[in-house]
Amino acid sequence: MHDRKLKSDNNKAGQGEGAASTMNEELRFRRLAALEMGGPEAIKRQHANGRLTVRERFARLLDEESLREIGTLGGSGEYDENNKLVRVTPAPYVAGMARVNGRPVAIGGEDFTVRGGTTFGAARRKGGQGGFIEDLAHYYKIPLVNLIDGAGGTVTSAKKRGYVAFPGVHGFERSVQLLGEVPVVSAVLGTAAGGPAGRAILSHFSIMVRGTSQIFAAGPPVVKRSLGRDIHKEELGGASVAVDKAGTIHNAVDTEDEAFEQIRRFLSFMPQNVWELPPVLPCDDPVDRCEIKLRDIVPEKRTQPYSMHDLIDLVVDKGSVFEIQPTNGKSVITSLARLDGRPVGVIANNPKFYSGAMDASSAHKQIHFMELCDTFHIPLVFLVDVPGFMVGLKAEQEATLREGMRAVYVAGQLTVPTITVVIRKCYGMAGMATCNKNDIDLKISWPTGEWGSLPVEGGVAAAFRRDIESADDPKAREKELEAELRAYASPFRTAEAFAVEEIIDPSETRPILCEFIALAESRLRANLGPKGKAGVSP
Amino acid sequence: MTITNVASEVIGSVWKVEMKVGDAVKTGDTIMILESMKMEIPVEAPVDGTLAELKVQPEESVDEDQVLCTIES
Repeated sequence: MHDRKLKSDNNKAGQGEGAASTMNEELRFRRLAALEMGGPEAIKRQHANGRLTVRERFARLLDEESLREIGTLGGSGEYDENNKLVRVTPAPYVAGMARVNGRPVAIGGEDFTVRGGTTFGAARRKGGQGGFIEDLAHYYKIPLVNLIDGAGGTVTSAKKRGYVAFPGVHGFERSVQLLGEVPVVSAVLGTAAGGPAGRAILSHFSIMVRGTSQIFAAGPPVVKRSLGRDIHKEELGGASVAVDKAGTIHNAVDTEDEAFEQIRRFLSFMPQNVWELPPVLPCDDPVDRCEIKLRDIVPEKRTQPYSMHDLIDLVVDKGSVFEIQPTNGKSVITSLARLDGRPVGVIANNPKFYSGAMDASSAHKQIHFMELCDTFHIPLVFLVDVPGFMVGLKAEQEATLREGMRAVYVAGQLTVPTITVVIRKCYGMAGMATCNKNDIDLKISWPTGEWGSLPVEGGVAAAFRRDIESADDPKAREKELEAELRAYASPFRTAEAFAVEEIIDPSETRPILCEFIALAESRLRANLGPKGKAGVSP
Repeated sequence: MTITNVASEVIGSVWKVEMKVGDAVKTGDTIMILESMKMEIPVEAPVDGTLAELKVQPEESVDEDQVLCTIES
């Protein structure tokens, strides 16, 4: 692969004065071979496909000069008949420790220019599942960044080995363990199938690039062989399927540089591990900033939606919002953000999509986000406007009830402080997934808040069916009953009963949240460490 | 000349249509309002152009991803 020849004579090694310089020469030679990756032709092909090489990716993502590479010399050497090194093909994986935003990380990525980034036989794996770099993240308790660009195992390895490996030897045990210990971020930067695709999923945050990356359990040739269908890899596993439709990967971006920016952004909210608190940054946005605009943001007409994204922006520290899964499960918004510089997880229903009703995809999204924040001691802020679970045949076919109840189950086990702010609707079981009721965590409401088992409109028709049907004017009777019941639905009546802790002027939302989140610190500090796992998820 | 399909993001029904075929539309203009989960969901023009075809009428049921109208630009 490389034409570079080792100039000095290896046979001199160990013979007095020249030995050290010869050894240095060999080290230099082998290091250069590593830097050349798969050679100029392979690099040109990688660029022509709109992708960077793994070394370019490291350079753009990491703090300058921060990479301490590990396993640089891993690869396959070729030797002549005198055992003299002729050339080296580097391992198709580059790894090391480095810094992101000044904080240490473990990082690894397949080198697609060397045999398509497939796994290679060595005494010790550099990366991939069970690889050295995962162990490094585990033992040093630092975040792991996977830059994924490979299709995993190849059937040729069986030929080399003489037998077929059993699934799970070199398995995902460490990858699974890491999910409860340190932040794991995966960027899919090429076509990922098999092991590397699985590893991308076993992360806290994953990202891919529209147009140049795809991910699937199995690629087009396998689909053709198994189902007789022709399908292009972009159609099968491009971002429109994997991110927008399926939520297999969390976020999609247009360029690799944007992917690196999102990785830095995500890590900026995370502690180094579950034994630490998330980092607090200086904040120049005043804690007592009262936004008058919030008083009019909810339309008077209950049937009109409004921008929950604008509402979030007005409340949290300016410019601090980092949305996870913006294009999937859109009836709920999940964003990392800051209040007075302290990381928080914002979960807000989006009235523009299904009126904020929870469907299967938004339940999945909310569950992942709650678990993420709970694991890394990031307090949760719920901004609630949820009419209930999504209804209809499609919703039932997607097991909305079961997925929704899983959200309730996970919410019920949260240990991080949560604060629930009811903006408008908070109904039924979906409403229960918006707070941790077992605790003393605050439930506060805007004056526009309304709640109950189910909204008055649908509920009246069901509960008073006979009364309505036997009336002279059934429509008028229904309206009359609705008006009567709505009087009880005033949030102030619930506040009288101290069943909601406070009703606030919407403009005070930021100051109140900032105070609560600052107060939460002692409690967060008292609960550091890994989270236990309880029971069987429904 | 390009034809842009405007599809429904939600399941629901057409409540009212705010424009007629041949009207000039600007990105963000409300073409029609759907009703879904007891909410009024505006359907906004994704591009500038002319409303070329209306494929649905008030009170008609619509599915997610169903094309509601087309814009010529």
